[in-house]
Amino acid sequence: MTKRLWQIFGPILVAAAMVATLLLVPWHWGALSAGTVDQAAVSMAPNVLAGERIKDQAFADGYLPLFGSSELARMDPFHPAVYAEKYHQPKPFLLGAAGTQSLTHFVTDQSSLPELRGKKAVVILSLQWFTPQGQRPDAFGFYYSPLQMMTWLRQANPHNVGDRYAAKRLLKMPSVRDSGTVAAATAAIAKGHRPNAWLRWQLRLHQQLLRNEDGLFSRFHLIDHRRRIEAGVRQLPTQATPESLTALAEKIGRAHTTNNRLGIDNHFFARRLGGGKLRALRGSQKHFDYLSSPEYGDFQLLLQQFAENHIDVQFVIPPINQRWARYTGLSLPMVRRAANKVQAQLRTQGFNRVLNLSNDGNRPFFMQDTIHLGWAGWVRVDTTMRQFVHAPNVHDYHLRSRYYSQAWQRQTRGW
Amino acid sequence: MINLQPYTNPLYFAYLFVAFLPIMIALSHGVRLHRYETVVGLGFIILMFTGTKWHEGVALLVYLVIEWLVVTGYRRYRRAHNHTWVFVVAVLAAIAPLVIVKLTPLFSKSPSLLGFLGISYLTFKAVQMVMELRDGTIKSFTTWQFLRFLIFFPIISSGPIDRFRRFTKDAESVPSRAAYGDMVAKGVHNIFLGFLYKFILGYFFGTVMLPQVGRIALHHHGAFLGLSWALVVYMYVYSMYLFFDFAGYSLFAVGTSYLLGIQTPVNFNKPFASPNIKEFWNRWHMSLSFWFRDFVFMRVTFFMMKHKLVKNRIHLSQIAYLINFLVMGFWHGVTWYYIVYGLFHAGAIILNDSWLRFKKKHRQQLPHNRWTQALAVVITFNVVCFSFLIFSGFLNQLWFGPFR
Repeated sequence: MTKRLWQIFGPILVAAAMVATLLLVPWHWGALSAGTVDQAAVSMAPNVLAGERIKDQAFADGYLPLFGSSELARMDPFHPAVYAEKYHQPKPFLLGAAGTQSLTHFVTDQSSLPELRGKKAVVILSLQWFTPQGQRPDAFGFYYSPLQMMTWLRQANPHNVGDRYAAKRLLKMPSVRDSGTVAAATAAIAKGHRPNAWLRWQLRLHQQLLRNEDGLFSRFHLIDHRRRIEAGVRQLPTQATPESLTALAEKIGRAHTTNNRLGIDNHFFARRLGGGKLRALRGSQKHFDYLSSPEYGDFQLLLQQFAENHIDVQFVIPPINQRWARYTGLSLPMVRRAANKVQAQLRTQGFNRVLNLSNDGNRPFFMQDTIHLGWAGWVRVDTTMRQFVHAPNVHDYHLRSRYYSQAWQRQTRGW
Repeated sequence: MINLQPYTNPLYFAYLFVAFLPIMIALSHGVRLHRYETVVGLGFIILMFTGTKWHEGVALLVYLVIEWLVVTGYRRYRRAHNHTWVFVVAVLAAIAPLVIVKLTPLFSKSPSLLGFLGISYLTFKAVQMVMELRDGTIKSFTTWQFLRFLIFFPIISSGPIDRFRRFTKDAESVPSRAAYGDMVAKGVHNIFLGFLYKFILGYFFGTVMLPQVGRIALHHHGAFLGLSWALVVYMYVYSMYLFFDFAGYSLFAVGTSYLLGIQTPVNFNKPFASPNIKEFWNRWHMSLSFWFRDFVFMRVTFFMMKHKLVKNRIHLSQIAYLINFLVMGFWHGVTWYYIVYGLFHAGAIILNDSWLRFKKKHRQQLPHNRWTQALAVVITFNVVCFSFLIFSGFLNQLWFGPFR
């Protein structure tokens, strides 16, 4: 009888024990090859953003975190990754892709914070994030990382205004709201309680499982953009000043913007705006408003992380193509006021490194297309980043919890 | 609200195993826990229809009442009488809910309120009971036996299709300890083979590869008939997906039944190793094709013979094949590609029959060795894969859009 049972169920038990050992024991996965990290740094793949192992190693190796969104994919020869490669600057690790906003960054950088403590970071802050809706739930779901979420939940402080705010915001996202254990623990934080022991135990177990999965698998499925970086490197001169690079950027930019009058990259224009698509967009952005948005609160979460971890941060507010804005009816005074509002939030709390380019949307070849930095714009960012990484660290921050309030998020006067 | 769709993830099997433990211990001691089995079965069925699917649960209840009225009504009638028209009415009444559900998409954008997961398979069982009542092979049954057969939960959603007498014999007896040990061993083996099929191979072909290949193939929609190499790859990838997904599911259903001491018939037996189409249908979705053989093909053949509608035996079987596969096509759904799929297989099997006759006549001239056998397997495999390309509905998308 016992023998028969063992014959039937023995293999299952052995297999289950092996899987449990593989996934539930806190393994140390060792170092990845430099090539893998290099590829991941410019990959922008969701599993890299959401993961832990690759980013940990990259930041330990001295990569500079570059938070942003879709502009990071504009990999022309002046892109920060190309510039750093060519001129031997600290290489940026691209954190973000189309659709990543403050709330996604807040969740996905949880595991990196200990490694980033006391270091530097760059944030490209798009005004397009600050819509009346704020973080798009579907985009949040696309980049949602249960592993990072659990890392946050395990150390979130229910007595901290910011963490309670984060919990409430996260519960508005379907990927969190519909996720059982995580939703229950988040709801507890939102109410100001610590999750109970049973929840904490489940989170710990599940976090370990996901951490091992990340350690085992996240280096696969990298998207390889290194060819584009290398192609860019070949176009840059060995000796260069910001002025000579700007001149080269304008020359290359001019050659790439010949099929339209908006200063938009030919390829982008042909694919996204060609064939009558442009006409449908005339006047379509008249009602856009970036002044009242929950994003101001979500952005404050990022600032809290930076302040608590003594991270020295350079912010960049990118421009919007002015010819494009005029065509679509986007209000430039509104854009200026939104930039003022977000700068007020930064400077009053001691975040003084802000490169505000929001007025530079009419500079030649500053933008690669409608709202994305390119060519000469990148040169400006590269120059600022170069000065920043060699400057002594500054992190004299004083946080104000009023920036989590709805009153602030909705305040449209005074800018 | 918790909702458990059968066999969708490995955790489901953990729940099954915990719920089955008392049943399995009792069975190995020669006892069947009828009441507990009922509670477990109903529990898993209820969990299929919780939350947003509650209306399907209501549809299931309504459906069971209808079928019970039809089948018990016919049983009562059959005790004393045996008119053909009553039999025909009973069969039509038994398939009426399924016909309504299948025809609804033609007239309405929202699916029929009568529909629920598994209605086809329950209908096969109910119709089979009416047929066997007519034949006299089933004489009596209790309401309890009827319901237990119809909603035996491991096979409720997608088969395999069991037969009433076979099932009831199993459900009302207790295997010897040695025999039950073999059943558990086979059940566990099936479930784990199912994991490999459905969660690894089916996932790889269906979720990882198919969307990518499909996207590439759709790029060529401007070409003549949309033909491209990607379409050829799509055909094979889809065929692999269809087999591993469905065979994996069937292995789960059979394995789960075996743990309960019920020897549900198998559904697949190396179908891609078939040397001809006829053999393929003896190995592919077997419980369905045997059902069609017994209750459509044979019935049609007997009917035509009895009424001397067709004299020629060859023509007789050809017409029976055509009707058989046409009905199967319609059963899959009322779209051009399911119906063409049925006609294609009817054509293939008719062609295959005449080839077999030709081969028999010219046995001396035709070579027969392992190379010709291998060639037969290769040809059959490709013909089948092509039929699955029709079945997939991908051609509909490729030819008639919409394209982004």
